[in-house]
Amino acid sequence: MQLTAYGKARRHELALITKLLLMFKLTAVFVLLTCLQAGARALAQGITLSEENAPMEKVLKEIRKQSGLTIWYEDALLQKSKPVDIHIRNGNLDTVLAHIFRDQPLSYEIINHSILAIREREAETSPKAVSPPFVVHGKVLGEEGEPLAGVSVSVKGSRQGTVTNAKGEFALSGLDSLATLVLTGANTETKEIKLEGRTTLVIRLKNKVQQISEVAITVSNGYQEISKENFTGTAVTISGEDLKKVDPQNVLRSLQSFDPSFKIVENNLAGSNPNALPNINVRGSTALPSGSGTDVISRNTLSSGVNLPTFILDGYEVSLEQVYDLDINRIKSITLLKDAAATAVYGSRAANGVVVITTNPPKNGKLQVSYNYELNTTTPDLTQYHVLDASQKLAYENMAGLYNANNNGALSQDQLNDVYYHKLGMILSGVNTYWLSQPLQTTFGQKHSVYVEGGSGPFRVGLAARYETSPGVMKGSGRDRYSTDLTLSYNLGSKFLFRNDISATQMNSVASPYGDFSNYARMNPYYPKYDSTGHIAQVVDTYVDRSGGGVTTNYELNPMYDATLKSFNKDQYFQFVDAFSADWTIMQGLRLRGQISVNRTSGSSDQFISPMANEYYFYSSTQLNEKGSYTYGDSVTTVADGNMTLNYNHKLGGHFLNVLVGANFRTSLTDTKSFSATGFTNDQFPDIGFAYGYATGSTPNSYVDKERLFGTFASANYSYKDKYLMDLTFREDGSSQFGSNNRIAPFSAVGIGWNMHKEDFMKGSPFSRLKIRASTGLTGSVSFAPYMAQTTYSYYTGSWYSTGAGAIVSNYGNQNLQWQKTRDYDLGMEIGLLQDRILIMPRYYYKLTTGLVSSVSLPPSTGFSSYLDNVGNMRNTGEELNLQVNVIRNRNFNLSLTANLTHNRNVIVKISDALKAYNERVDSAQTNSANMGAPLLRYQEGQSLDAIYAVRSLGIDPETGNEIFVKKNGTLTYNWSVNDIVPAGNTESKVEGFFGTNVRYKQFNLLLNFYTRLGGQLYNQTLVDRVENADPHYNVDYRVLSQRWEKPGDRVFFKNVADLGQTQVSSRFIQRDNVLALNSFYLSYDAGHGFSSKLGMRGLRFAFTTNDLFWWGSVKQERGIDYPYARSFTTSILANF
Amino acid sequence: MRKYSILLLALVLLTLASCKKWLNLTPESQVAAQDLFKTQEGFEEALNGVYTRCGQGDIYGQELTCGLPDVLAQDYSLSTINDPLSYLQSADFNYTDANFLNRENNLWSGLYNAVVNCNLILANVDQQKSIFTGNDYALIKGEALALRAYLHFDALRLFAPSYASNSSAPAIPYVTTYSNKVTSLSTVSTVVKDVIADLLQAKAILAPADSIRNADYIVGYPSDPAQTETSSSDLFEQNRRHRMNYFAVCGELARAYLFEGDYPDALSNALEVINAKKFPWTNQADFLNATPALQDLILYKELVFGWYIPWQTPSLQSLFQSGTGGLFLLPADAQFIYEANGVGGEDLRYKEWMQVSVSGAVQLMKYRMNPSVTPNDPTANICPQMAPAIRLSEMYYIAAECSFDQSPSTALGYLNTVRAQRGIGNPLTDSTKTQFLTDLLKDARKEFFGEGQIFYMYKRLNTSIVGSSGIIIPPSDSIFVLPLPINETEFGG
Repeated sequence: MQLTAYGKARRHELALITKLLLMFKLTAVFVLLTCLQAGARALAQGITLSEENAPMEKVLKEIRKQSGLTIWYEDALLQKSKPVDIHIRNGNLDTVLAHIFRDQPLSYEIINHSILAIREREAETSPKAVSPPFVVHGKVLGEEGEPLAGVSVSVKGSRQGTVTNAKGEFALSGLDSLATLVLTGANTETKEIKLEGRTTLVIRLKNKVQQISEVAITVSNGYQEISKENFTGTAVTISGEDLKKVDPQNVLRSLQSFDPSFKIVENNLAGSNPNALPNINVRGSTALPSGSGTDVISRNTLSSGVNLPTFILDGYEVSLEQVYDLDINRIKSITLLKDAAATAVYGSRAANGVVVITTNPPKNGKLQVSYNYELNTTTPDLTQYHVLDASQKLAYENMAGLYNANNNGALSQDQLNDVYYHKLGMILSGVNTYWLSQPLQTTFGQKHSVYVEGGSGPFRVGLAARYETSPGVMKGSGRDRYSTDLTLSYNLGSKFLFRNDISATQMNSVASPYGDFSNYARMNPYYPKYDSTGHIAQVVDTYVDRSGGGVTTNYELNPMYDATLKSFNKDQYFQFVDAFSADWTIMQGLRLRGQISVNRTSGSSDQFISPMANEYYFYSSTQLNEKGSYTYGDSVTTVADGNMTLNYNHKLGGHFLNVLVGANFRTSLTDTKSFSATGFTNDQFPDIGFAYGYATGSTPNSYVDKERLFGTFASANYSYKDKYLMDLTFREDGSSQFGSNNRIAPFSAVGIGWNMHKEDFMKGSPFSRLKIRASTGLTGSVSFAPYMAQTTYSYYTGSWYSTGAGAIVSNYGNQNLQWQKTRDYDLGMEIGLLQDRILIMPRYYYKLTTGLVSSVSLPPSTGFSSYLDNVGNMRNTGEELNLQVNVIRNRNFNLSLTANLTHNRNVIVKISDALKAYNERVDSAQTNSANMGAPLLRYQEGQSLDAIYAVRSLGIDPETGNEIFVKKNGTLTYNWSVNDIVPAGNTESKVEGFFGTNVRYKQFNLLLNFYTRLGGQLYNQTLVDRVENADPHYNVDYRVLSQRWEKPGDRVFFKNVADLGQTQVSSRFIQRDNVLALNSFYLSYDAGHGFSSKLGMRGLRFAFTTNDLFWWGSVKQERGIDYPYARSFTTSILANF
Repeated sequence: MRKYSILLLALVLLTLASCKKWLNLTPESQVAAQDLFKTQEGFEEALNGVYTRCGQGDIYGQELTCGLPDVLAQDYSLSTINDPLSYLQSADFNYTDANFLNRENNLWSGLYNAVVNCNLILANVDQQKSIFTGNDYALIKGEALALRAYLHFDALRLFAPSYASNSSAPAIPYVTTYSNKVTSLSTVSTVVKDVIADLLQAKAILAPADSIRNADYIVGYPSDPAQTETSSSDLFEQNRRHRMNYFAVCGELARAYLFEGDYPDALSNALEVINAKKFPWTNQADFLNATPALQDLILYKELVFGWYIPWQTPSLQSLFQSGTGGLFLLPADAQFIYEANGVGGEDLRYKEWMQVSVSGAVQLMKYRMNPSVTPNDPTANICPQMAPAIRLSEMYYIAAECSFDQSPSTALGYLNTVRAQRGIGNPLTDSTKTQFLTDLLKDARKEFFGEGQIFYMYKRLNTSIVGSSGIIIPPSDSIFVLPLPINETEFGG
């Protein structure tokens, strides 16, 4: 039987159905179907008809189309009908129907508000019309009296509802005259109106009061949602929208501004390189860079990743790169878990903090489309670069004695004069190249991101797509990301919820063919970049020198030349993630949840260096088959991550208990292969197939890395009358990375809290919030390569013995190797005054990491030089302060001030002998000319990891121009000695953080966010490398010309300009490091509803953000050595349909 | 609710129990020791690994074969202009020089790294005895024992005083376990006892198993159709002379007994090698062959044991063929060493090994290989790149030294045999032992040039080193005994 229109039902059947329907008061199924049919359209819009002498059937069809009504009738009846004349615009349904049926032998009836049943007009006797149903007409207005479109109007306790039209009007019929309407708008407060028999209403809605960083009501730790008020751990939750305001291009940087204890370690080499992944630590360093290698670590080459927090995206662990490449529009919120009470459920992955990212789940209801467009402009920031121009440079060379035969025995004075006048000639002919700007560009990056969501009943769908390009300020460099994400959720009854997310991301990155920026900073301005034919010259200068007994001709090559070739260096990966979760509400308060995700990332890197490149310029003709190289790398990572949790909460009287037990596993497999080939005849065919052969002495490489983790955990959150709080967590982890003697690791945490403001005695006090909490716990981290706990053999791949391939033991496998343990104490307060207009949240923490994994030296007679063991302890203590003041808070105008400040102190409590031996190695490296001027990383017990090691200096002796050093025993000397190196400074700031303001006036929103750090120290490398140790053959910092010692009596900072000896690491260059920067400036405008609805939109927002607009630092040094820093400007449009 | 909790708890406990196994992961691109030693092939690879390790440049691939010991023995004339190889201070016996300390540390670490590889094999081989087929168990265990002794013995000869000088002096650790614990120093005599004990055990194990003792094992160049060295179908059984074969153990025993001054045992072991008649003297035609591809400069067939080091070819070429930038001799020094103006005028070794280069420096040709047209072309050279470890001639020298007291004529006979093979026509007729030893040393120096043995001989006999243009450096433990590396001593080892 056909339920919908035009069925050929007989009259009695129809009557029966009608009866049945009425009898069962419409079954749920029926409601569903009609809702699907009519939905929000029903009766909301008026009916427009214009018919002359039209058959009844045609008119009814039209009404059905426009109103969405289901119409029931019998064909035979319609034959009796007369043609209809009707002209109506936006007519009310009742009016229309009354008109049509006025002269007909038929009558009609509306069942519920959507079924129109037609029957024969009963006995000609009484022309009694059907009593019209109860109809309500209403108009919804905003605070300013403007009509509000798109406000949903629903009838409380039923599924009936509609949405206001562009004029803010709505109509509902067929409802109880005493019903209650619920009005919900996107930007307004929800309001309930009792009808009390009224048929016309004018309703005013209040705007929602927006807060700067909305205080989240719950905290998500990735496994469960915990009421924030009753949580004793330290967690900071930031909404995706707020993150986007601060820095729409980089979610990690944005996160830092909300909590500076999530610290992105400044990398002065990489600058604003979009392809450089940041190094992050939370509440200080908890790992020692392993000193097992022979290479000495300088501050800039610190390997990244040792201190990284764990990133959890929708319940499964992801890599830093995955977060870096995540579409910021997908983020609903990010929660940073910092202390043990908050992180202990992550056990061996918890010690460096946990970042929990939740993405937007699709909303229920009508299909909604949001579209976001961003135009990102970046411009290089060269304000910290001050190099000499052509004539200054030549003057400096002259001062430095390059053209004085007494200083340069290689050439005669005549020859030197020739060189000098040759250069002078170039300058006089007008050559003055500003090399710094050559590899740079202003970039325009674009981002389109679309999100479609909607659903009804049990099904919900969300589909996101993104196209994002991020070109870098060095020409040719960039990082492009494309992604799609499909979320499906299905509610089976009220007990089961299934959700599946599929996402695919493609990332393409390219490094600049221009090479390192430092190559441009050193180019002499009197070199022309073009040759006489107007092409980029490869050799910009040749000069004769005499060294080591022979006359040599030196060629100065143009770094720009490489960019004219077809060399490239690019990376890409494709990532596919499928995450499935199932949620079963077993009974009230008891929930079982299972989740599994599979993540497969396959990446490759291709680097081709043209045979014509500068690096092969000096290759002899016999090395032709070594010119040009191609390196290919390929890596596939597959991760499966799953967990199962059982959550129980129960409220009994004042007691509230929330218990979670669960287990999770993670297994990852990374398979990496790489090989390189050399020998290309030209760069027309930059394909590895054109190579002559493998690079000399190289063989293909491969590495397979497997890791497995299994953990079970339980946590309980108890509160009594919301006043007295307690959290308990326990977790046991097993990891394949631990030694076989220590496979299972227990972790635990406990936290207590007191919501004082809930106490009776606090009633009437100015404190709207006063919470005190304390927690302690033990968490872990694993920061060593897999298999270090096992004795492993590796094969000699390049050299086989005559009797077969050989395998050799590669490490001493320490079966007792363990995870690092961090014991953590955290104290915190939350103070709210004047209805939380002023919020002050101070925190103190103490973190002691024991069993620091580090290499231990062995006597070589054991066959090994070192092995990994748990030695060494490190302590981090610090204070954090969050401050928020809502100065003005009313409908049209909000003004608030925020500050997030932090201070961390790091102390190495104990280190291994191997690290002491490493310090000795550093001593010898420090005297080697490559490292002479740079303070190297050292480890000393009682000192900070951030200490700067140098020989103390009293400055330049005005009499002699020599530097006066302070020996370890306090006596003075002119002679620098590596034995006098002491910790002479510390890069840890006294205060570091962000402060700013948020102003909202009507539809405008302004946010200013400043970064500052005070009280730390920095070693000014520019003064050493580019002033004192500067090679006069290359361009240098402008300060070489000033403040140099020239004659006795000069009280200056720099040593004698003619002293070409290398300056050694000295405390003279340690300077106060104070920084103030405009981290972010954000301005947005929300178009009024009137305007956006004219464009057919529900909402429209324009926003402008600029990052790093200005940067001021007390240390004047070049910033961004290999890649310059940049300022960024983002304009964005967000439209909702 | 309770039902579910119990169910879940049971599930969790079950998974926990099976989880330990699940967490035992073994690396894929490397091999866990426990997996390697599950198969016979794994043991073979581990043993081949020791030889490959020894053939690296830090030890026998270069440094211990033609580097530091020969520098100390004053065999090279080093350039004083810019010290390209940083050997100058070492040649002056400055044992505090950073370059010396670095080299010394590398070769010490290298030797013991090879030792620990032997120890890992020995720690596993007996438990897994059942997996072996044929002679594999004997070859692997015997060779690992012998290698351990060989490596320790060279460490002893470098870092300890000679037995004659001070046999009770603390010497080196004799490491027999795989552990991160420090092994304390043994005295010179204890180390020699341990070396001999390991060698004797190896000799007993190899005696019935080593195919080199078979009559059908015929030594020769790879291209020689008569040779059977590469005829075994099992690669592991081929080229016995590239590994610690039975006769190599005899030769090493002869060395160790001689070090102790135990002439009868040294003699019997040396004679066992000589009398086996396995190792023919090199045909003069092969030594002198004018076609570079066919010239045998290393005297391949006389090698009782040598390290196979083809990967060292480029490094050795640049070491010896860089004129004064590498290792070289001044013409006068070469003539002096080979007595070119006297009895050595017709010495084939002088003629073939000492070649004047364009720059006027005399270069050692012993390790010269014909550059192959295609990589690893087997026809490019008559024999592979080898680092000699034990030579037949050394057995004659040992036999001569051990028998002089008994029968000077027998002793002179052995020595004259070697000289005659090298083209020195007039035989020696020394009557005093001093004279005999002087002549023995002179010939050994010619023979062992660039093979790292002569320094040990000076030391064992406690004789003066004759330096450049005849400068006499008197014997002393301050020059003969290399200090233990700092990395070792700081552990109080």
